[in-house]
Amino acid sequence: MKARAIKGIVVKDLKEISREKVALFWVFVFPLMWVTLFGSIWGGGGEPITIDLGVVYSDEDTEFTAQDVVEIMENISIENAPIFNTKRFDNETAGVKSIKKGTINALVVFPNDFGKSVVTGKQAKIYLYFDKSDPQEYQIVSGVVKGFFAEFEKEMKKKRMEIQLQYAGLYISEDVMKMYNISLEDIKSYMVAGSEPLVIEEKEVEGTKVSPIKFYITSFIGIQFLFATMLIIGVGILEEIEKGTLKRVVASPATSWDFLIGKIASTFIIVMFSILVGLTYSRIVFGETLVPSLAGWLIILIASVFSMSLGIIIAMATRSIRSTTALVNLLSMPLLFLAGVVIPEAILPSWAKPIVNYFPLGRALKDLRLLELYHKPFVEIVGGVIYILAVTVVMLLASVVLYNRVVKTLE
Amino acid sequence: MLALEVKNLRKSYGDFQALKGVDLEVEDGEIFAILGPNGAGKTTLLRILAEGLGYDEGEVNVFGEPLSKKSARHIGYVPQESISYDLLTVKENLGFYADLYDAPREEVDNLISKFDLPPSSKAKELSGGLKRRLNLAISLLYDPKVLILDEPSTGLDVPSRKQLWEDIIKFRESGKTILIATHYMEEAELLSDRLTIMDSGRIIRTGKIEALKSLLGDRTVIHVSGILRGVDNLRKMFPRLIERRDSIRVHSDVDNTLSIVVEHLISSGSRIREIRVEEPTLEDVFLELTGKKLN
Ligand SMILES: Nc1ncnc2c1ncn2[C@@H]1O[C@H](COP(=O)(O)OP(=O)(O)OP(=O)(O)O)[C@@H](O)[C@H]1O
Ligand SMILES: [Mg+2]
Repeated sequence: MKARAIKGIVVKDLKEISREKVALFWVFVFPLMWVTLFGSIWGGGGEPITIDLGVVYSDEDTEFTAQDVVEIMENISIENAPIFNTKRFDNETAGVKSIKKGTINALVVFPNDFGKSVVTGKQAKIYLYFDKSDPQEYQIVSGVVKGFFAEFEKEMKKKRMEIQLQYAGLYISEDVMKMYNISLEDIKSYMVAGSEPLVIEEKEVEGTKVSPIKFYITSFIGIQFLFATMLIIGVGILEEIEKGTLKRVVASPATSWDFLIGKIASTFIIVMFSILVGLTYSRIVFGETLVPSLAGWLIILIASVFSMSLGIIIAMATRSIRSTTALVNLLSMPLLFLAGVVIPEAILPSWAKPIVNYFPLGRALKDLRLLELYHKPFVEIVGGVIYILAVTVVMLLASVVLYNRVVKTLE
Repeated sequence: MLALEVKNLRKSYGDFQALKGVDLEVEDGEIFAILGPNGAGKTTLLRILAEGLGYDEGEVNVFGEPLSKKSARHIGYVPQESISYDLLTVKENLGFYADLYDAPREEVDNLISKFDLPPSSKAKELSGGLKRRLNLAISLLYDPKVLILDEPSTGLDVPSRKQLWEDIIKFRESGKTILIATHYMEEAELLSDRLTIMDSGRIIRTGKIEALKSLLGDRTVIHVSGILRGVDNLRKMFPRLIERRDSIRVHSDVDNTLSIVVEHLISSGSRIREIRVEEPTLEDVFLELTGKKLN
């Protein structure tokens, strides 16, 4: 190995790339684009939603009316943000029209005798309308609205039960209680349990809250490996073949390993630089970033070498800049999703999960996330890291073999 | 001592045989030219010697040792096409190759001033002549004993060409062995101590220029220009006749060639503008040996 030759190749590559506009796009603009995109879509996440709710009801003069329900709804809030923003409509038709127009998310219609039914202890009806055109929005809106009414219904049941319990002593005879050897208290508790068999008590636990920004920063690192890293090294070598400079390098005393180590080192420096730029940018613009630990950087290093080997292999197999670019894109676009780079493994279909676990870049990202986002100890992911390292070594050797074969046939 | 020794070298590109058993011996310290038309196999031969291009059969020795990555350091190669990196400056290019060949750093500045190169211009901004000079400077970085140049003056204007030829002669004076491939006979004639004529992947004849010319005996060459008629009939009498757009060259080995040629042309209705009797050139030798024109 000739240190001076390697240094020469690294310095030359860095100078070239810093003067190459296309490369600068991949190194800076592309990552910043992603970070900006992710940050502005998912950044600051977890803001409580507000549902625009249309209501239709008539004015009644009973003790309890639909208007009381609406007022209750208006007063519920999470972290000071109201959940429902209600808007009254004169009739059902006008409300439905508004849903269709998208000015409200859902419509609640209270029939004319709603208050009267409640007060007289009869069944009261409520009609709900939802916009189903966006399934995700529908899920959230219907969940919240139905959840509210389920809770409201429970309260009403409780109220009615309390009234019944007040009078229970009056209509259950002492003889009966004696006969079954049961107290009035027992009967009351059976009645309560009958109306509400299950009491769910919600207790809040502060789990590891994964910030979406941090998740998407790991995505951005993955994207740099899927595109820029492979392309910089693959296209870089092919350009040297096309321009004829590689022939000269090959004829020089520098060996194939010298050349490839130089290329790998320069690509690594460029990619690390672009990752640091992305991390810093996120810190400045979104106030949050990821600072990988030493083990995290180790995973990043291995993943980048894997990515470079793959880039070299593709370039040497196709021997054309165009095909290399096309193939890298063809391969990386689906992997962006299927290897869990930009979406969490949890929401991938089951057939895609092996890709996350066995495609080294998917696995590297998964392990990086376990380490940096979920704060798992390194021992828990060491198996994965060894796996990635082993595959990377094999790929690197394969890329050197292929490179040597191509160099031999340079004519 | 032989600087370069090539024995029975064969090389094919697929089915096409580019070198069909080439033998060559270049003495230490001489300027040796390979003269041949397009496609003769000159570049192929030089690339085997200087760029490690693979070959099928034969033997190549550099100063008595088989060609290897180690012996490659004895050879400086100036290819036809630029070997500099477009986006790097002249100085950066030289610096890179100095690192690659582990050449002394000072050589970078020495060569820049020696060849009068603009150190901070990017390679892509250089003229063809300057690019060739940069190629030359790069090949000299590690002070090779043998300098191999492929068509060094192609594409250069007259002053750059003259400058280059002067440089080459100076290299020989400093003790370097020089191998030049060219299809310009003037270049071969002016520079070389010895030359070889190559055609279709074969060496036709090697020797000193005078010796090659003497192959033609004391023949003279008759050059006639004008509006010429009856050339085809004339060719039947003198098969080795070179025809150009408005002139012909005829080798004469008998005393009355001149009168035969002139009478024939005039009786066929030609209008002769000029008649010259010349010493044979390398081109005539080439024609004699291969039956072909050089260009
Ligand atoms: N890489 C290649 N693949 C296939 N054929 C080739 C290749 N390089 C050269 N040839 C063929 O080999 C023959 C010799 O080519 P070469 O370049 O050595 O000739 P040359 O004497 O240098 O010609 P020129 O004066 O045009 O430079 C030519 O017919 C050429 O077409
Ligand atoms: Mg050539």
